[in-house]
Amino acid sequence: MARSLIRRLAAAAVVAFALAASLSALTPPSIKFTDTTLKNGLRVIIAEDHVAPVFSVAVVYNVGSRNERTGRTGFAHLFEHMMFKGSENVGPGEHFFTVFSNGGTMNGTTNKERTLYFETMPANQLDAALFLEADRMRSLVIVKDGLDNQRNAVQEERRQGLDNQPYGRTSEAIDDLAFDNPAYKHSVIGSMEDLSAASVDDVAAFFKTYYAPNNAIIAIAGDVNTASTLERMRKYFEPIPAQPPPPAVDIAEPPQGKERRLTLEDPLARLPRLDISYRVPSNLSPDDDAIETLSQVLAGGRSSRLYEDIVRQKQLAVQINAFAPDSRGPRLFRIIAIAAPGKPIAELEQAIYAGIEGLKAGPIAGTEIDKARNAARRQLVNDIGSSLSRAIRLSDYALVHGDPGLINTSWERLAKINAADVQRVATQHLTPENRSVVVTTPKPAAGRGGL
Amino acid sequence: MRIAHRSIGIIVTTVAMAAALSAQAPPQQTPSPTQGVVKKGKVPVSNQVLKIKLPRPAEADLANGLHLMVLEDHRLPQVSFQLFIPGAGGYFDPPDQPGLAAFAAALMREGTATRTSEQISEQLELMAASLNFGAGAASPEATITGSSLSDQTAALIDLASDVLLHPSFRQEEFARYQQRTRAGLMQQRGNPGFLAAELFGRAVYGEHPAARISPTAAALDRTTRQHLVDFHQAHYLPDHAVMAIAGDISLAQARTLVEAKLAGWKKSSATVPPVTEPVPVDGPKIYFIGRPNSVQTNLIVGAQAIERTNAEYDVLQVMNKVIGGGPTGRLFIHLREEKGYTYGASSSLNAPQHRGEWSASTSVRTDVTDPALTDLLAEVGQLRDQPVPDQELADAKRSMIASFALSLESPAQLLSLYVTQWRYKLAADYWDRYPDRVSAVTREQILASARKYLAANRLQIVAVGDPAKVGDTLKKLGTVETYDTEGKRIGSR
Repeated sequence: MARSLIRRLAAAAVVAFALAASLSALTPPSIKFTDTTLKNGLRVIIAEDHVAPVFSVAVVYNVGSRNERTGRTGFAHLFEHMMFKGSENVGPGEHFFTVFSNGGTMNGTTNKERTLYFETMPANQLDAALFLEADRMRSLVIVKDGLDNQRNAVQEERRQGLDNQPYGRTSEAIDDLAFDNPAYKHSVIGSMEDLSAASVDDVAAFFKTYYAPNNAIIAIAGDVNTASTLERMRKYFEPIPAQPPPPAVDIAEPPQGKERRLTLEDPLARLPRLDISYRVPSNLSPDDDAIETLSQVLAGGRSSRLYEDIVRQKQLAVQINAFAPDSRGPRLFRIIAIAAPGKPIAELEQAIYAGIEGLKAGPIAGTEIDKARNAARRQLVNDIGSSLSRAIRLSDYALVHGDPGLINTSWERLAKINAADVQRVATQHLTPENRSVVVTTPKPAAGRGGL
Repeated sequence: MRIAHRSIGIIVTTVAMAAALSAQAPPQQTPSPTQGVVKKGKVPVSNQVLKIKLPRPAEADLANGLHLMVLEDHRLPQVSFQLFIPGAGGYFDPPDQPGLAAFAAALMREGTATRTSEQISEQLELMAASLNFGAGAASPEATITGSSLSDQTAALIDLASDVLLHPSFRQEEFARYQQRTRAGLMQQRGNPGFLAAELFGRAVYGEHPAARISPTAAALDRTTRQHLVDFHQAHYLPDHAVMAIAGDISLAQARTLVEAKLAGWKKSSATVPPVTEPVPVDGPKIYFIGRPNSVQTNLIVGAQAIERTNAEYDVLQVMNKVIGGGPTGRLFIHLREEKGYTYGASSSLNAPQHRGEWSASTSVRTDVTDPALTDLLAEVGQLRDQPVPDQELADAKRSMIASFALSLESPAQLLSLYVTQWRYKLAADYWDRYPDRVSAVTREQILASARKYLAANRLQIVAVGDPAKVGDTLKKLGTVETYDTEGKRIGSR
């Protein structure tokens, strides 16, 4: 055993050396774009190319679940559904009907930070796409039966995704436990009670406050002509009046103080699950890349530290993941492990802590950093391959960092990642008093089922 | 709106069932419907459908029988490949060992004569490359897929070849895999969608291999290292395999690379392993899995349909688009946008080498199970009873044809069209003529196909939900076969 391990390590080192030598000066193509702000404050980013007869539009509104007030959790996402229920010149459902029946795809998605709408269509349908987006930004129709209908759909979305699934309520419990400020404490999907309470007046007020052109960014990528697209953008969007800026979100989070713990019983789960979550700085922090790299070094793939030690060698868990969801405010560095059948959760938890302490004590190998860097680069190349990903990346960089040009400079920025920074953020943030631990245990069902 | 994408869709039943349901549906459970789609017709849409010229892959037949297809595209520095190996999929599992092909495929990745499992992981992750070996539970083929930045392509193909040709199937790795997989098999039984799909497979295909969607724990326990070694030796043959590579590489480069790395993969002169047709199901049935604590009922309705090469394939695709092919489908508009029963409802056509199936699926809150199933069955009934209106048919066809432009964004997606053409021996101009064939589909053809394949006496209904609340709803439809969440039959009532 000892001999074979040494042999494996020696061979791994040889492989790594050969590869490191071959990682070349390869760079992705640069994305050219224009960045214009219309008179009403709408920011317009256009990235023209002609690789395929296709374009994508990403419309991002600077509003997410963090903007919701107490008693209206889930509202930003419920509102997103209302954006498909019609506007002055577009009937209920006509938005998605128009896009799909002309060969396109589209969707909307909401997170804590923002609400994003997008469509990809054949190149000859640019007017249709821009008209659809402008009409609903300008003149959303807000009626009760549409709201009731989408309230139902969203409540089913919650049931399907959370309430009827193993571990469905765990993530919600984690945010509630780890955060104190209401902005980030609740889930995006929201509570059934709050969804039921949402009114037509709420929809109208939310629309006026947050769906203003000065609170939005539109990125268009693909087979378009920049000058004529900008001209169309002015025609369709510039008449929409700006609104007073929305109230700033209070994202201040009181210090955590000490470890928090919770045990949940889940009648739908079959195996225990352990969630360990540490508060870490936002994407705007200079440590953003180091935090991402930390998640890769710990649990990014099968050669990562925790997978190798805990899943493969000790066999205490059958799955382990680490990630830090994007946020401009407080956020969590999350570690999720599903315990192997019959293995004690306490032992699993201690093994994870031992892995973290080992990382802090060092050293971190150069190849561990290389893996994280290469994964990020690979993702970047993959993303710029589709007009939709290009549009979304541009709009997201503009929203979060104010700079869509990061799409071209992040490649170089990734070169600066280093082991010392990764170790420093681990030491600083992955501490006992900064963590919240949730254990989800299966609760045996009352009956065996059947009629 | 985050529309759910699912492989298994919804719907259907007999005239008798539909009649019974509509008579029984308690109106007080039904929210007042709103309008699903209203067309004001003011959106400045172009009525032209872009004419698309599809690029063709370059192709070559190698000495060992392997067919090579390359779609060269240099817009990004990356390369992806797919290798399909007929005869190595779960379809060919021994009947008492469902999962053997999947176990073999998974274990190949766990070590070769010269590389340990850890080394393979380390190398792939350092390259930021992906490499996956899989064998679908019902598929006749094993599939190896990979992708990397183009300066790593040679190393990736080298690794893939080593894993393909020289797997070591170490006992220690198999024991680890068994432990992880046992847990996975246990976990998936917590997912109501899995439970529904598993029973639906049995309902539609009976004992035919197409019924399989997952290995069983019993097969996992029964399998030995020697089974894996033997399966690999007997089934991983190059004679009828196809290697499809897309991206920053030429045919000449790809050929040189593949011939060099796969030199040891010798022709066997074996014939293509045959598949058989499933036995037609004897009448419609209703199946129920009681899942305590469910807050929704998962529904799947469907029937055996056609094989990929059937002349009615295009007709059934258009029919499927009309009833359940995405958010413009009748199911989505009716069950969600009008009634608010569900987050999503859709249908799909699975047409493999042998007769496949059409199915519709949704999940609805428990207390509207009855009206939702009634409406779903009524939508299927309408497809059989009434021709699709001209405008709706034109919209569905335009959607299918115009969306071809989007595939030009992805070389890998484009190439997969040609792989399908090769695998099913379709005509060389099959995809060039696709728009014409779809355009030619008539409402009469759809009506005839719906009557033939979605006839009431063919349809199987599967429901998964709260046993305390859903049972009576289904009993109105006829005799219900009941199961528990372990897949064991409890009885019929």
